[in-house]
Amino acid sequence: MNKKLFALLSLLVLASMLLAACGGTAAATEPPAATEPPATQPPAATEPPATEPPATEPVTVTIWHSYHPDENEEKAFNQILDLYKAQNPDVTVDVLYVPFDQLANKWSTEVAAGGGPDMFTMPNDDLGNWIRGGLVAPVDEFVAGKLDGFSDLAVQGVTYDGQMYAIPGIAKAVGLFYNKSLVETAPTTTDELLAQVEEGKVLVMRPYAYHLYGILTGSFGGTLMDETGKCVADQAGFAEAFDYLKALKDAGALFEPDEGKANSMFTDGTAAFILTGPWMLGTFQEALGDDLGVVPLPAGPGSTATPLTGIDGWYLNPNSANQQAAVDFALFAFGPEGAKIYADVAGAPMGRTDIEINDPMIAAFADIANAGFPRPQSAEFGNWWGAFDDATTKVLEGQSDGATAVAEACAAMNTANNK
Amino acid sequence: MAEKTIGVFDSAAGGKSVVKKVTPFLYLLPAFIIMGVITFYPMGYQVWMSFTDYGIKNIRVDAPLPDFVGLKNYINILTTNLGLSSFNFWRTLAFNLWWTFSNVIFHVVFGIIIAVALNTEGLWFKRLYRVIYIIPIIIPQIIIANVFRNFFDPDYGALNQGMQLVGALFHLPPEMFHIRWIAQLDYPFPNIPLTLSYFALLITNIWLGWPFMTIIATGALQSIPKELFEAAEIDGATGWQKFWRITLPLIRPAMVPAAVYGIVVTFNLFTLIFFLSAGGPLRQTEILLTVAFRLVNEQRAYGVAAAFSIYVFLILLGLTLLTNYISKATESYDA
Repeated sequence: MNKKLFALLSLLVLASMLLAACGGTAAATEPPAATEPPATQPPAATEPPATEPPATEPVTVTIWHSYHPDENEEKAFNQILDLYKAQNPDVTVDVLYVPFDQLANKWSTEVAAGGGPDMFTMPNDDLGNWIRGGLVAPVDEFVAGKLDGFSDLAVQGVTYDGQMYAIPGIAKAVGLFYNKSLVETAPTTTDELLAQVEEGKVLVMRPYAYHLYGILTGSFGGTLMDETGKCVADQAGFAEAFDYLKALKDAGALFEPDEGKANSMFTDGTAAFILTGPWMLGTFQEALGDDLGVVPLPAGPGSTATPLTGIDGWYLNPNSANQQAAVDFALFAFGPEGAKIYADVAGAPMGRTDIEINDPMIAAFADIANAGFPRPQSAEFGNWWGAFDDATTKVLEGQSDGATAVAEACAAMNTANNK
Repeated sequence: MAEKTIGVFDSAAGGKSVVKKVTPFLYLLPAFIIMGVITFYPMGYQVWMSFTDYGIKNIRVDAPLPDFVGLKNYINILTTNLGLSSFNFWRTLAFNLWWTFSNVIFHVVFGIIIAVALNTEGLWFKRLYRVIYIIPIIIPQIIIANVFRNFFDPDYGALNQGMQLVGALFHLPPEMFHIRWIAQLDYPFPNIPLTLSYFALLITNIWLGWPFMTIIATGALQSIPKELFEAAEIDGATGWQKFWRITLPLIRPAMVPAAVYGIVVTFNLFTLIFFLSAGGPLRQTEILLTVAFRLVNEQRAYGVAAAFSIYVFLILLGLTLLTNYISKATESYDA
């Protein structure tokens, strides 16, 4: 009797687990009676005024993203999803969250094997490699005539060899956040920043080549590569820039590799300055409120800073069977309606010319991105990261001076590129 | 009498022997097929890859085949002509070997000592010790790596804070204990080219590794007959002599394979090193496997990474054969 009871209980537990796993599909939202035309329809379209996308049969678009759960970007994205589903009841959008450091790998593996989702979104850091590997498809044919409102910088950021490989959206470049309660006037030049750090105001930044690019090149007049992709950083600017960073460190600036630690130092008021990008805007605004300010990276003996401007885009899977439907979703997400939600809810500076940016911080970041250097997608550029990250470590730890470190890094980069 | 045709499976004609010969292979066939697909085919593919310039352009299933480059990858690795900054193949290989042997020596020594201590008669809570000393083995390595990375944090890590607390008792200033375990580039001991992150990794891996050796040693200890110890007592042997002359030789047949296993595992201890120090400051604590991993992920140089892995295989094969030869030559208590 006991055994039978136990077997029955186990069966019930199993059955309840099965039900929990299979149930819980979201009810489709009923579209309002009159739907406004989606922003993706070109003004001179010959399509019928019906606002549904061309496919009348149900279409499923699968997309991946890495917006951190509970961060503002994810909230913005969910709003856009709800809006899109309301306007396009025939389109089911399957969404999968993949952590940021795994997303590109997962995409590459599955697309290389012939499968994968329809689209995913990420910064264009590795776009060059994806293009050379055949892992993203050109989108020119799907976006023809629908590109009104995208800024030239955004389109340029996702164009390679004359073809567009993504629907561009957020334009990101690093700037200098500062705490207004600790800093009266924000520094605009490298000398001013050094003076303020020497006074005792703590500057925290991550010691990586990406964050420092603007200072290494623009502020000190350095150039990384010539037209052939050969490293020419040892010819001007970089060495002085590295020596300046060492001077900052000696004056009390903190170079903290851990992003969480660096951010907490700023939000709890230990640090007066932090060098990071617009993805932290929402979090910092919650922590510091009106005390938050942002300025571009300081200008130096060379010129103004030129940080790397990266473009978040929606990339298309060459194996996808629903390419037009996927691109339509991306055009909505980064279109006027979607971009406004990204800007208002997530504080993202969008690469568009037709949306009002009310928040002065987001406007500041949009200016920073516009003044930045579009991220190169060449194969040679891919080999600068490791070399110059190591150069940064060597200089900041006092193991070598700027000139030696840059010369070694350039040599390594050229060897890796066979130049 | 009519001639009866004798078939292959007839017992009278000795046909059973054919079946007998084939049957074992039939039993092994499913395993061979599965291993062939999962293990041997990828291994063969990797050997082929190491002779080509396989890169990201070849990654799609319908992409063109890469070009054959012969031994270029292998030579580039040996001459450190890869364009990886701060990388030196020979230094990494030397560090890898030093890392392996320094760890395994500590593991075996601590393992045996603790096993002998746990084996004493009348020890209280023996079962409890046996249970809690298993914990390092069962926790996944990546969790251990992350927890210990926080443990070694210069500002908030438990180790530095603990040392500051103890130092306060001796009126030592807390700044003395703000040790940058993982990031410090300067060698702590002037003439020894090992960074602090090596010592942090060593401490963590010792914590990780001795329970396994203790388990093996405990099993071996319990198989030593008590009469030997009693006879030694009668003959007037001291504790140290009993340990050195009876215990150690009799557990050697068990400890040598355990040490060999420890060598192989520690040589390839990817997870701990990658997630605790990420190869250390400027690749000072990289082992061959972490370099290969970074070659795949950062440089997308799949062909070179494949050649790297072949080197790792050859080195480990050599090490295993060498330790087997040495242990066989000194094994004198075999039945």
